[in-house]
Amino acid sequence: MAFNGDVLSINPVCETQRICGFIKAQVFSKYKRKGVVLGLSGGVDSALAACLCVRALGPERIRGLVLPEKESSPESAELAAEQAEALGICADVVDITPLLQAFDVYERRTAVVRELCESYDPETDGMRITLPPDVLNRDGLNVFSLKVSTTRGEFSYRLKPDQLHAIVSAQNMKQRTRMIQLYSLAERLNCVVCGTTNRTEMEQGFFVKHGDGGVDIEPLAHLYKTQVFQLAEHLGVIEKIRSRAPAPDTWPGGVTDEEFYFRMPLKTLDLLLYAWKAELSADDAGRELDLTAEQVTRAFRDFQSKEKSTWHLRSLPPSLETERPSRSAGAKPGGSRSS
Amino acid sequence: MTAARDIIKLFVLKTFPTDSPGAGIDYETSFVDAGIMDSMRVLELVEFLEGQFGITIKDSELVPGNLDSIRNICRYLESKGVTGADS
Repeated sequence: MAFNGDVLSINPVCETQRICGFIKAQVFSKYKRKGVVLGLSGGVDSALAACLCVRALGPERIRGLVLPEKESSPESAELAAEQAEALGICADVVDITPLLQAFDVYERRTAVVRELCESYDPETDGMRITLPPDVLNRDGLNVFSLKVSTTRGEFSYRLKPDQLHAIVSAQNMKQRTRMIQLYSLAERLNCVVCGTTNRTEMEQGFFVKHGDGGVDIEPLAHLYKTQVFQLAEHLGVIEKIRSRAPAPDTWPGGVTDEEFYFRMPLKTLDLLLYAWKAELSADDAGRELDLTAEQVTRAFRDFQSKEKSTWHLRSLPPSLETERPSRSAGAKPGGSRSS
Repeated sequence: MTAARDIIKLFVLKTFPTDSPGAGIDYETSFVDAGIMDSMRVLELVEFLEGQFGITIKDSELVPGNLDSIRNICRYLESKGVTGADS
């Protein structure tokens, strides 16, 4: 297919049919389970996944789980519940704040932030880590910095390696705690856990291993984020969810996916990611997108760096080959995650 | 006296280890292209360079042109007044 700005347009009717067939086959024939459990975050990915699961299996076989914590936007849980109601599915709400407190998530992270910003008050101030913005127009390595938002303004700090590790490990407990909740319910109901990671996130490693990446099926992993929006509109995901800027919703004070990780606008990101995967030259890709070859080269370099550094998120744990081939046709150790 | 390039190479080999030490990492090797540089390791490199050579690296200087290879680092150190770094 020729590369142009419409290359990621999908036929929503065909795509819906294809994904519903996949879900049905996986849940009933492969896993031999009764239905699906999925986390509803109030974002477009989980809302779309829920729509597709309902179409594939019927609302009575879908159970949603809304898993807010004290730092997620209150609007997220409201929209998640609204979407569940619109789909006619049962959605339980479990506040995971006490669990995160028991894991010392907030305290551990606050201690690190205070090493850099002594006056940081987690009750009133926001904090997040971000990569340098505007990768298309600036040469910059992927260096996370800490941003603290206070009533006196916003302050930026260079993190030491140990501080970044400590913050990330604390933050990732949020997604992993949600994963535990989802599996607990799914096993109780004899259901599979449905993932909501899209292709943009999958290819660039924007999910947490054994967190939101810890699931049984990934029905959106072949769709770029812009394609998720196309399908979401077709299937009637509520407008308030579709109009929200994609965000992890795990940082106090908020941060968008673009600011946190991707470093460029969503539509440009998806088209460039497609061009990079298709091994188009920077000149050819740039010509179609009205970007210079230099801008495209910066983006490609960023994609390469992220893909290489996150390979392990997409793979089963590497292991030595068994001496004799196994009779069962399970996943090959060290093989790629299917999408 | 140990040359800056040797100090940096020793750091890279120790901090970004591979299963075949030294293999493939030479003066010109791009750390990003070689797949040995990620967001965590950049911070380790920055902390090392600031401590070892007594320099301060500004955010605007965290670019591949300064930090993506031993050659780039040596040139960058020279520009920061570390004498003999790029010789």
